[in-house]
Amino acid sequence: MRRLNPSLVAGGVIVGVIALMALLSFVWTPYDATLVNPSGRLAMPSWEHWFGTDKFGRDVFSQIMVGSRTTLFVGVVAVGVAAVIGVPLGVLAAMTPRWPSELIMRTNDLMLAFPALLLAIMFGAVFGASTLTAMVAIGIASVPSFARVIRSGALQVMRTEYVLAARAAGRKPFPIAARHVLPNVTSLITVQASVSFAIAVLAEAALSFLGYGTPPPTPSWGRMLQESQEFLFSAPRLAVFPGIAIAVAVLGFNLLGDGLRDRFDPKLEDRR
Amino acid sequence: MKSYTTRAVAFVASAAMLALTACSAGSSTSGGSSTGADQSLSLGLVAEPASLDFTTTDGAAIPQVLLGNVYESLVKQDESGKIVPSLAKSWTVSPDRKTYTFDLVDNAKFTNDKPFTAADAVFSINRVKSAWTTSLKSAMDVVAGAKALSPTQLQVTLTKPSNGWLFRMTTRIGAMFSETGVSALATAPIGTGPYKFSKWNRGDSIVLQRNDGYWGTKPQFQQITLKYFKDPTALNNALLTGTINVITTVQAPEALSQFTGNEKYQVIEGTTNGEVLLSFNNSKPVFRDLRTRQAIRQAIDHKALLDTCFAGRGKLIGSMVPPTDPWYEDLTSVAPYDVAKAKSLLQASGAAGATLRLRLPTLPYAISCGQVVKSQLEQVGLKVQIDQQEFPAAWLTTVFKSADYDMSIIAHVEPRDLGAVFSPTYYTRYNDPELQQYLAAADAGDEAAQLDNMKKAGRRLSEQAAGDWLFLLPNLIVADKNLTGLPQNAITENFDLSRLARS
Repeated sequence: MRRLNPSLVAGGVIVGVIALMALLSFVWTPYDATLVNPSGRLAMPSWEHWFGTDKFGRDVFSQIMVGSRTTLFVGVVAVGVAAVIGVPLGVLAAMTPRWPSELIMRTNDLMLAFPALLLAIMFGAVFGASTLTAMVAIGIASVPSFARVIRSGALQVMRTEYVLAARAAGRKPFPIAARHVLPNVTSLITVQASVSFAIAVLAEAALSFLGYGTPPPTPSWGRMLQESQEFLFSAPRLAVFPGIAIAVAVLGFNLLGDGLRDRFDPKLEDRR
Repeated sequence: MKSYTTRAVAFVASAAMLALTACSAGSSTSGGSSTGADQSLSLGLVAEPASLDFTTTDGAAIPQVLLGNVYESLVKQDESGKIVPSLAKSWTVSPDRKTYTFDLVDNAKFTNDKPFTAADAVFSINRVKSAWTTSLKSAMDVVAGAKALSPTQLQVTLTKPSNGWLFRMTTRIGAMFSETGVSALATAPIGTGPYKFSKWNRGDSIVLQRNDGYWGTKPQFQQITLKYFKDPTALNNALLTGTINVITTVQAPEALSQFTGNEKYQVIEGTTNGEVLLSFNNSKPVFRDLRTRQAIRQAIDHKALLDTCFAGRGKLIGSMVPPTDPWYEDLTSVAPYDVAKAKSLLQASGAAGATLRLRLPTLPYAISCGQVVKSQLEQVGLKVQIDQQEFPAAWLTTVFKSADYDMSIIAHVEPRDLGAVFSPTYYTRYNDPELQQYLAAADAGDEAAQLDNMKKAGRRLSEQAAGDWLFLLPNLIVADKNLTGLPQNAITENFDLSRLARS
């Protein structure tokens, strides 16, 4: 019996808690996360307000809860965009002859060289700041890493005997990709998705901090950080709670990605 | 051997480059002596202009920089609001109050070296009618004609007596242009002012150089850089790190404490003309019912809003008249905060449950106040969708020009702008014949009639809930301790740079 992988467990627990928190926020939060309460502004953490209140008198804990929805939503869509474009590109690059493959991968390298955050800011400037813009921009920026990883995995599969046999038997490329290649790179897709999720969470927070992400009043951890700037000296807790939330979420997805990679590739784990 | 030679060449080349770098750094430092720390000044501002041409582009950001500094008008306002000479040394008004005769200074010249004469004044006044495209051009409609009696004497005839015309001549409407200097107003403004335009680094700063040929008292600083910041905290940090010397308008008043106790800085707090208006698109059916408009006003707890989004600084006014205008009266009691009344008014008007788009410019105070307004309106049964519009470009196009909005929030900083803001052609689309009657009577009557009718106009706006006046922006300036000449109150369109000096 294989022992439990600590990274996988820790990552799974953290991600699970965040997902639960996001789901719970649809049916319950201690307070309405967008309800302004001027008489209760900048309250210290207490039994009524576990994380205190912000300059609008909004409950910080409720905002963190609802903000986790934004975080997960952005992560899911961004990773979805990246996977939907990146995986076929990677498989295509592995299965096509040299020059189309080179064209795909060099274009991929070109995109990889372009800073992801800059691309997202450009999207925000052109199409306007919104959660959708941030999601699509982060997703597109994550395409090259998906394509690269999936290509390497697909190349290994393409050299296996059963694929060579299928090709010798005259199977067309598309059925080979669907029946043999894709099922065998699923683990790679899962690991890459988890790692990209962590990057997406951080990117969304950065974009919202810069004003190019989720617009107010929808709670977002990055914008909570941005709004806390004027209170860094008088109420630093306003920066601490969303900061911790972002750090823990990124850590969780990274640990999960690490754990999944070890799980799918036990040899790597044994080498440690 | 070859390898050694190559390395030696590379070393010499690197050393040469380093030396050149050192020289260039040194030269920029020494070159800076003419515009060194004591000769140059950097000011931090919030809203960057979309263009430098206020004859075709609306927005307060352009005259804030250019009026009085690059362009001058015949007359200007002093800090108490009194009309005082500028390019006109003196003026007389005919007994029928329809003819103004101005005696102009004889030594002013434009930065394109053309002398300023009465012909330029005639050209500038006529050009407002013929070439300006902004809504404010209507202020010149009352002018029947302008003629140059001599190079230094100008006569302007009005179609009817107007109390407002001479005052309007202190604003951007009165800016004097050279006939040969209007070909590139959007990028290369030419005026007679104490500063001349130097360069505009879009998205970053505008640089002005002292006009050494200025006809009046020359300013102390040779170069003034106006740096624009989108983030209020970045603006504060720029002063703390010495990147700028002045925060012209503090946008993060909660963080003011980091300056108040610091002996390196002075904090100036006064008043402004900047009415922060929750504007209604009065052409929309939902706003045609007075009860809906009144309900919105009564649903908002203005004191709490001011405390929340501007740290309690500023003043509640209740209408479109700031306390520095002679016809100011406190109208905050016209629409007191009353949630129950607001709900019943909405039920009566049938607007309960209506969805309103609140299109906000990306200005810090608007984003903050918008969140409070949304929350408070939703408590009385309205649904509010916040939508941010990049300021100035997107907001001016969508809200200001196309009136594609339900509500918006912006500070109107133009002096005595009640009539301009609440007109059928302005973005508020407010058509009220009774208001227009008061304004016309105020403009045509004597001083007492003006006072009386302007008070009636202010009250009418408030009672008709043509918009909601959230609060009056304070004049909050933080600057280096040794800077003088900063305005206590900001009641004009421009930020006067000519009086700034180091003590």
